[in-house]
Amino acid sequence: MRHALNTIAAALTVSLGLAACGPTQPAGDRATPAAVEVSVYDGAFATIQQFTTPGGVSVWLVEEPSIPILSLQMAWPTGTISDPVGQDGLTGAVAYMMNEGAGAYDNQAFQMRMEELNMSFGCSADRVSTACSASMLTDNLEPSFDLIGLAYAAPRFDTGPFERLVREREVGLQTRQTNARYLAERALIEALYPDHAFARQMTEESLAALTPEAAKAHKDRLMSREGLLVTAVGAVSPDQLAPLIDGMIAGLPETAETLLASPVDMAAPRSVPLIVDLPQPQSLVRFVGPAVPRDHPDFYPLAVMNYIFGGGGFGTRLMDELRVARGLTYGIYTSVDPDSNLPVLSGGGTTKNDSAAEFVEAIQAEMVKLAEGGAEASELEDALLYLIGSYPLSFDSNAKIAANMMSLRLDDLPVDQFDRRNELISAVTLDDVNRVATTYLDPERYTFVIVGEPVGLAP
Amino acid sequence: MTTGWRRFGALGAGLAGLAMVAAAETDTAGWAPAQFTLDNGMDVLVLPDHRAPVVTHMVWYKVGAMDEAPGKSGLAHLFEHVMFKQTDDIADGEFDRIVTRSGGRSNAGTSWDYTVYYEQVAKPHLSRMMALEAERMTDLIIDEDPQGSFITERDVVKEERRQTLESSPSRVLQEKVFAEVFKGHPYEISIIGRMEEVSALTPQDGMAFYRTFYSPENAVLVVAGDVTPDEVRALAQQHYGPKVPSGLVSETRNWQTLPPLDRTLDVEHTDPKVRQPVWSRYYDGTSLFLDRETALALEVGLEVLGGGSTSLLSRRLVEDQKLAISVGSTVYSFLRDGGPSLIYASPSPGVSLDTLEAAVMAEIAAILEEGFDEADVRRVRNSLAASAIYQRDSQMSMARTFGAWVTIGGDVQDILDYPDDVRAVTAERALAAVRDVFRPDAHFIQARLLPETEAME
Repeated sequence: MRHALNTIAAALTVSLGLAACGPTQPAGDRATPAAVEVSVYDGAFATIQQFTTPGGVSVWLVEEPSIPILSLQMAWPTGTISDPVGQDGLTGAVAYMMNEGAGAYDNQAFQMRMEELNMSFGCSADRVSTACSASMLTDNLEPSFDLIGLAYAAPRFDTGPFERLVREREVGLQTRQTNARYLAERALIEALYPDHAFARQMTEESLAALTPEAAKAHKDRLMSREGLLVTAVGAVSPDQLAPLIDGMIAGLPETAETLLASPVDMAAPRSVPLIVDLPQPQSLVRFVGPAVPRDHPDFYPLAVMNYIFGGGGFGTRLMDELRVARGLTYGIYTSVDPDSNLPVLSGGGTTKNDSAAEFVEAIQAEMVKLAEGGAEASELEDALLYLIGSYPLSFDSNAKIAANMMSLRLDDLPVDQFDRRNELISAVTLDDVNRVATTYLDPERYTFVIVGEPVGLAP
Repeated sequence: MTTGWRRFGALGAGLAGLAMVAAAETDTAGWAPAQFTLDNGMDVLVLPDHRAPVVTHMVWYKVGAMDEAPGKSGLAHLFEHVMFKQTDDIADGEFDRIVTRSGGRSNAGTSWDYTVYYEQVAKPHLSRMMALEAERMTDLIIDEDPQGSFITERDVVKEERRQTLESSPSRVLQEKVFAEVFKGHPYEISIIGRMEEVSALTPQDGMAFYRTFYSPENAVLVVAGDVTPDEVRALAQQHYGPKVPSGLVSETRNWQTLPPLDRTLDVEHTDPKVRQPVWSRYYDGTSLFLDRETALALEVGLEVLGGGSTSLLSRRLVEDQKLAISVGSTVYSFLRDGGPSLIYASPSPGVSLDTLEAAVMAEIAAILEEGFDEADVRRVRNSLAASAIYQRDSQMSMARTFGAWVTIGGDVQDILDYPDDVRAVTAERALAAVRDVFRPDAHFIQARLLPETEAME
């Protein structure tokens, strides 16, 4: 493989059992289908239909008739920072348990019912949101939505699967101790924002404090009808979809808490790299420094600068120097995370322990070179051509489009953002790039961490 | 199995479910791939998907690690990297620049059976991508300078090996195990290559490899996405049509059916980084290419036995007895010459690997004695068949499945028939296939991934 893939699609395995078995399916509390009022945004990448269901749920839908699949995303704006003190991991436990049994279906019966319907449904949580996603065949829309609705209305939180979750998490607590990426991230968090809610993590003590009852109660603080955002892509119309969604959410509480995160006030960067010892032939090098959120005027210039510096893979300053010219690494990448509470520019790669010091010095030298010398006009042109020209590749599947729309919605971005994004990137000039490079690529803004057995970088 | 793409499955075992999925019967109406051959012998496959103005362009070569000479492990993979360097018309670094300036993404992968290169672009750039791929099919320049780009790229591959294999205890164990499972067969060759052998590869090795294997009659073109067969035919004739076959390519390569295991062996790897032990056993399997009927029966049977959270082993060992964190079984059915059946498990906290091993083997014996439940078999069959519909959502996945199968000599119709064929597997046949794998006199390679402390005890 020539370079690492950043994302790898999971292979879905879903069954096409048409004969229903297992417990009898309760009928959904379904509203009479009525025409919903639809606002259509006809963008270059997707024709998005926005509507509110009679039950009050705001939906963005892209109709895609050519394959018989519906991709569905559902999310709420409260995440793991809502874990009660001493119960870190509780929100994750709620997400885990959402497809582990509901109503008359125990966990095995629930999983088998999903297989019979050829559908998938599962939930996850990050720091500031909880999300569920589903895929289903358009032939099976009603029973598939019914099953999700049952999970929302009457999740069981049975002891059996809950104890399995605890066992899995115990193993996770062990394996993370030798996971280089985890160790790097933890060291950076401890150095830069140890007291912020974003620094919280599950521990043996907090895991021991989790109970099915606590998870069941916490679910109502995360998932409600009011806070729900929905995006969908598939062979379905607004009039078909609205009653299905209303039936699905009938058992959710009307409202839930919204726990907004507070901005992170990062500590001053460390002038000397943090070193974490791990016995392996390579050192993982990571670095992180403050950036800006998406609504800041520097954001798009910074995104373009990031592409030139290390965001774009081959042809970027870092890849050209550290991989292609020096053969020091399989890959080095940077990215800008516009999280409004913790906007950062970060990056990294791995190199043999013997060359760890050279690797760090070379990264810092490339920062200085771009900050002081600026980018070439040809680099800007290359960056704009790629960033704009490759955008359609992010819209070639139902699942990708549904996920992209949800990321807009969670960030409270407008429906025309996909098109605006390209206009904003096109407007970035060489002066803009060089201005932000001077500010944001100052090596003194960055804290480095090295995990491995680096030579020449004694702690 | 492809370097990099190996990440698809836990323990590298995910190929079975991924391998053979395609348009299911509810969905074939109005959709079909097109296939034709250029005059120079290059096969072409078109997989239309008009949802977005995007195409995936792949060229597969019928060469991989199995074609490497003794002592040259890793050459096919290193050569894959070198293909991104220069040609007589494209300067060093320009290949990537042309792709990215076209808004394209590219990558490549190497397996035992094949090497594949791809670009994904907006449709208007398809012709340009074909021109690039055609150019490097015949006009590559390999830098012979001892300080030059071939040698630097060799260093990159060594870092890739350190990153993806040597820093991962489970991958180190897997390399050891594959060397035993495939002993005496060309698949025993490490795809990414032994460090000492990679270190000794030369630009001359690279050029000899290129001259032998890179030629239109040894290649398969796959285009998926917003195209029609006629469009692809015209572009392929324009770009690839003029390529002259080298005439050096072997029709039979080193193909030889993987023989049954003739010994039982334990392989261990201990590493201070291991915090969670894993136990596994590799038994005889087969391949869809060699014995489709048995392979389908094994896919179904091993899925019923250990394919996910509703499988028999998972219900008994994870849910009921609580001895395992995970347990599973699968078959490497997509390797042309045959691959192993695999059973694996990882223990719950406080459970020893010996206890787990005994429990897994006892449950397998009990299950094979009792037989399969018809409802379980039906659910699994339909799962495997219907995954074809979901695969339609990904151009890349479709192109990869069809491309790999045609490259090893398979018939497109086999993929189209997969949903019907897998639904035709009876419980009796699935059970018989699994019973044969675990027959009392069956040999196996047993692998244990251990923390340092447990190994010393």
